[in-house]
Amino acid sequence: MVYLPPPHLASASRPSYAEAYAKILAAHRRSPKTAASSVIILVSPDVDSLCASKILADLFKQDDVMHRVIPVSGHAELERIRDELTTYTDLHTLIMFNMGAILDLPSSEWFGDFPTSLTVHVIDSSRPLNLSSVFGAGENGDRIVIWDDGGVEHLQEERKAWEVLTYAPEVDSDEESDFDSDEEADEEDDYEEDEEDYEDGHSASPSRKRRSLDDGARRRGKRRKVDQPNRLSREEREQHEHRLMKYYESGTWHGQSAAGTMYILATVLERVDSDLLWYAILGLTYQYITSRISREEYDKYQSIYHDEVARLNPAPPTVLGDDLKAQNADDNSIYASDELRFMMFRHWNLYDAMYHSSYVASKLGIWKERGRKRLTGLLAKMGFSIPETQQPYPHMARDLKMSLRQKLDQLAPEYGLVELSYPSFMRCYGYRSQPLSAGDAVEAISALLDIAGGTRIEVEVEGARNGGEWFGGGKVWEGGREGRLRDDERENVPPDILAQVVKAQVRAQAEGKANGEGGDVDWWVKNFWSAFDALSDIERLREAISLSMALHRAIIRQGSSIIDKQDIKTLRGHRVVILAQGPDLPLFVHPGILGRLALWLVDALRDRANATTPAYSRNKRKSLPCVVACLNEKTGTYMVVGVTGAADFDDFRKNEFGLAFLDAKERCNARTRHGTFDTSVLEINKDDLKVFLETLCEGGERY
Amino acid sequence: MSLPPSLRASITPPELELVASEQLVEIVPLVSMERTAFISGAYGPLRPPTKCKVPLWMASNLKLKKKCHIIPPTWLNVEFLQDRLTQETTLPSFSEMPFRFAEVAKILLDVAPDDLQNPEKIRTLLKDIREARQAKSREGLSKLDPNELILQNLAAMEINEIRPFFVRGMSVLTQLTREPPAGDPMDET
Repeated sequence: MVYLPPPHLASASRPSYAEAYAKILAAHRRSPKTAASSVIILVSPDVDSLCASKILADLFKQDDVMHRVIPVSGHAELERIRDELTTYTDLHTLIMFNMGAILDLPSSEWFGDFPTSLTVHVIDSSRPLNLSSVFGAGENGDRIVIWDDGGVEHLQEERKAWEVLTYAPEVDSDEESDFDSDEEADEEDDYEEDEEDYEDGHSASPSRKRRSLDDGARRRGKRRKVDQPNRLSREEREQHEHRLMKYYESGTWHGQSAAGTMYILATVLERVDSDLLWYAILGLTYQYITSRISREEYDKYQSIYHDEVARLNPAPPTVLGDDLKAQNADDNSIYASDELRFMMFRHWNLYDAMYHSSYVASKLGIWKERGRKRLTGLLAKMGFSIPETQQPYPHMARDLKMSLRQKLDQLAPEYGLVELSYPSFMRCYGYRSQPLSAGDAVEAISALLDIAGGTRIEVEVEGARNGGEWFGGGKVWEGGREGRLRDDERENVPPDILAQVVKAQVRAQAEGKANGEGGDVDWWVKNFWSAFDALSDIERLREAISLSMALHRAIIRQGSSIIDKQDIKTLRGHRVVILAQGPDLPLFVHPGILGRLALWLVDALRDRANATTPAYSRNKRKSLPCVVACLNEKTGTYMVVGVTGAADFDDFRKNEFGLAFLDAKERCNARTRHGTFDTSVLEINKDDLKVFLETLCEGGERY
Repeated sequence: MSLPPSLRASITPPELELVASEQLVEIVPLVSMERTAFISGAYGPLRPPTKCKVPLWMASNLKLKKKCHIIPPTWLNVEFLQDRLTQETTLPSFSEMPFRFAEVAKILLDVAPDDLQNPEKIRTLLKDIREARQAKSREGLSKLDPNELILQNLAAMEINEIRPFFVRGMSVLTQLTREPPAGDPMDET
């Protein structure tokens, strides 16, 4: 058994999370050399895995397990790390957060060649899972441990099909061996190509996903041929293959958040506290905000956390509302709250918060003059004057704040704003900050992850609005620069060679300026650490809120201009947006931000399409998938993000772009690269974009 | 020691904290452990539901790893401290407090606020008590006597606080009031 059921499905014969954790501890205590490189945590750069790794790191710390956290940006990086790990002799536990579920981990391409003492734990919220990781047995299969959320229980049919295909021999051995050698040759090609990156994109390579499925299964089939005499008929085989294909090709979706899985582990270890619960809540909220899970899923987990909040925290004060304040200086408690869908309204002013929230923007059509009028109209009806709504929220008149909820409930439905709030949580931070809602914290942390450093962005200074503080305007964000990485470097350098190092740094900076981003290769690693630190440091988190505001300003600005200028092309059932100029280009080359823009566009266009064609809307509820491409001027590539829009707000559809991208790439020989773990994000050579998009949309007709 | 001269005069508060860490406190362990020998002595065995006395450093280490609950000492609760505060403000003498109450209270408030009842109130009361006592020890300065100094019930932290000033003050006073040596011919003239 190489997948772990969640604790409520576990029994004596089926170990669960706690046993796996105990095994890690045992392995650590048994090993003679306890170096920090014996337990390694690989983390993909998103808020969920960040929170999950933080929980696990806390648990490890409590158990005195030395460990190392390594951020990994994408599959290419993961391959590099894998090669590096082969040189670590005392590595016995590898934990992967939000990565690797789709990879054929037991194969020799990944972890097959490692010594058998290594155990690989995969805690990944993305689906589908690779079945040979999940069900594979034997020496290699057993040490890949998938921490499952219960979804595998429903995969019994797939399991049967997989087992039959893997362990049963081929129908025709001649054909099979032919096929096999072909595949292997192909694979070598493919591997080389991966190494050489996308510069060399002449050969059409089969998708990794499909390869891992097909020949992984077939090769093992060959191995087992001798000892399994019973053969399958061709029809049966095809039927099974079809079932597996269906599983893999239905698109990507997300299961329980990795942070949630880790929280369950902490629960069964009976070591939960408010901090861990807060991380789990952040992980869940992140999934919801970025439309990875539907509202139903969200509600399911939200109610679980709601009970946990009630269990771990004192009873909430009687006056609950948006004006919640910390009860005393040590009050770090979490409260359940109904959260308005306004962007960080507790820290911004009401008008901006409404203006920048994607829900309000899409319902009112904020990108047009008329939409903005509707927004001011709504505020006027509520009795909120414009100067008042431009005040920072904490300084807004108290009676307005008190009546905000009620007024919104009365008047917002007139404007189509019916789902203005969702159940969420807030956390108090003593007297150090105002209470922070989960959504705001997630926004701030994801802003840090994306652009804490490496990009120039102006943030608004508080109180500088409307020409206050001399001329208004903002200042350049430089919070991320004081990351701890730089301090580390300084510490480890002996003083006598410091001068040389400084010189080298100056030179490197000069070079970096000369060739742009080249000098600052691992900006994202620094960003990762500043986000990691901000998780437990309210000061940094509070600073990051203004960064996040600047980010949303840019998203709305770009989004409005796209819609205004009608830059959206509709190509055979796809909406395609190409950003090739504008002031914010360096911002949108970050996949996370580009994804947010795409989501904003989907939200905005869904309602507009429905509003303009009411008669049409009933049978054409399915909103079109959206592809957004952004030019990276420095590398001469386009970052492409695909988002499948769900029919309703709060709903969710499986993202089919992962396969569609691979498919299109295969057919038009585009030079592409997957920079991240998200298969629906692609980096593509500048010249290949056009033909790629055309191929993509042609292929899209099948779906 | 490599401390700057200004700090060498007396022990620093963190050092006093370290000294206080050797005091025993009661804990309710959540993990079991055999009796183990440390440099300062052997402690244990830890058996989960039964209470156990361990030094404060061990208790705070276990607490930080969520492996025990600390049972606060009898004097660290609101009633006791309130009582002491009224004594402190009404009576002229120092009230009776444990010798290292300030250090122990600080460690416990830092490490295990959730094991204390009403830590907020306790913190305020401790601060009040400290201020009342500080005022008294300053007042005692006027009664400084070159021969002896009796301040009853003064706690370690407070002694440390007044030490540099009192030591110098005493030595100056001794010099001033030194009795002239007997049989000095100059005096008799």
